[in-house]
Amino acid sequence: MVQLNLPKNSTVIKGKYFKDKTGSKNLKKVNVYRWDPSSGGNPRIDTYEVDMDNCPSKVLDVLNKIKNEIDPTLAYRRSCAHGVCGSCAMNMGGKNGLACTTPHSEIDGDIDIYPLPHLKVKKDLIGDLDGLYKQYKSIEPWLKSNSKSETKEIIQSKEDREKLDGAYECIMCACCSTSCPSYWWNGDKYLGPAVLLQAYRWIIDSRDSEREARLKKVADELKLYRCHTILNCTSACPKGLNPAKAIAEIKKMLATSNL
Amino acid sequence: MEDKKPLSPHIQIYRWHISSLVSITHRITGIINIILITIICIWASLLLLGESNYEVMKYFLSSLLGKFFILGLTWSFSFQILSEVRHLIMDLGYGFELRTSKITGLIVIIGSIVLTIFFYLIGKNFI
Repeated sequence: MVQLNLPKNSTVIKGKYFKDKTGSKNLKKVNVYRWDPSSGGNPRIDTYEVDMDNCPSKVLDVLNKIKNEIDPTLAYRRSCAHGVCGSCAMNMGGKNGLACTTPHSEIDGDIDIYPLPHLKVKKDLIGDLDGLYKQYKSIEPWLKSNSKSETKEIIQSKEDREKLDGAYECIMCACCSTSCPSYWWNGDKYLGPAVLLQAYRWIIDSRDSEREARLKKVADELKLYRCHTILNCTSACPKGLNPAKAIAEIKKMLATSNL
Repeated sequence: MEDKKPLSPHIQIYRWHISSLVSITHRITGIINIILITIICIWASLLLLGESNYEVMKYFLSSLLGKFFILGLTWSFSFQILSEVRHLIMDLGYGFELRTSKITGLIVIIGSIVLTIFFYLIGKNFI
């Protein structure tokens, strides 16, 4: 059901203000969503004044600077810092993306940083992605082959391999799924762009022999057809992929095949 | 513990862009159209009950509020039809690139206003 307002325990209140201590002239205000499970209460927005003269170019650098120099209690996921692992996915300046590949210069005015939208928050910028991983598991994202031989490789033509371009690069950072209003309202049933892109990736894999079963599995009013081509997913994807188009391709395959 | 976890902000903080705006407007105009078509049908059926009933509606429609009503309906129809064409093209698998979807979205928004003016002028016998 569409619930536009946040639940009572989730409304955001004003938090602490960390004034600059470096005396820098080039300051930027960074508003960060904070919630600590040990102290409870409502989530708050803390504001940090960050010295931009001594800060590298990405939003993750800003967060690292805050954690290292201003407030070590700030919690966020990060690992590779090169847009490969997908850990630092969050909402910056009203748009989902990876903190490590999003330049802070692209955000006008104050930098607002929130966790990925419409998730249960574990702490500060860390959202609970268990639901998404369960859905990912439900599409059985592994190769299913009839091939009896265990020693011979399954050959794929160059053309068939090319079909996987734009699908296999997905790093499952969840930027797309958590940007999707349909996924916000129906996330328990609708699979969402990230998982559907992966479903598509296995459906079109020429080496996979369960194509029909896979198609039948996603052919569901709620699982698939909740996509209303809002395209928040495509505009959020930090890898430049197009989940909306993949979903449209699945719909097309279902419309043109006799299942 | 589970229930204590807050829900992160969503529609309150997410930035709108052309494609999401067109999509939500498509849904809203869809609902408006259903309601308004029903009202038009009732108006038409009032004809069967005689002239005086029909006149009430006619009187309303020539008032300022009534004119706003008609203009709104015309725009709502125009938007819905253009947006529907955009959706049909997307159902065929085209127009998903960010640039293209932005352009088609803008065409829908501007086109709906142009169509409204066009219908208005036709109604006024200017064209």
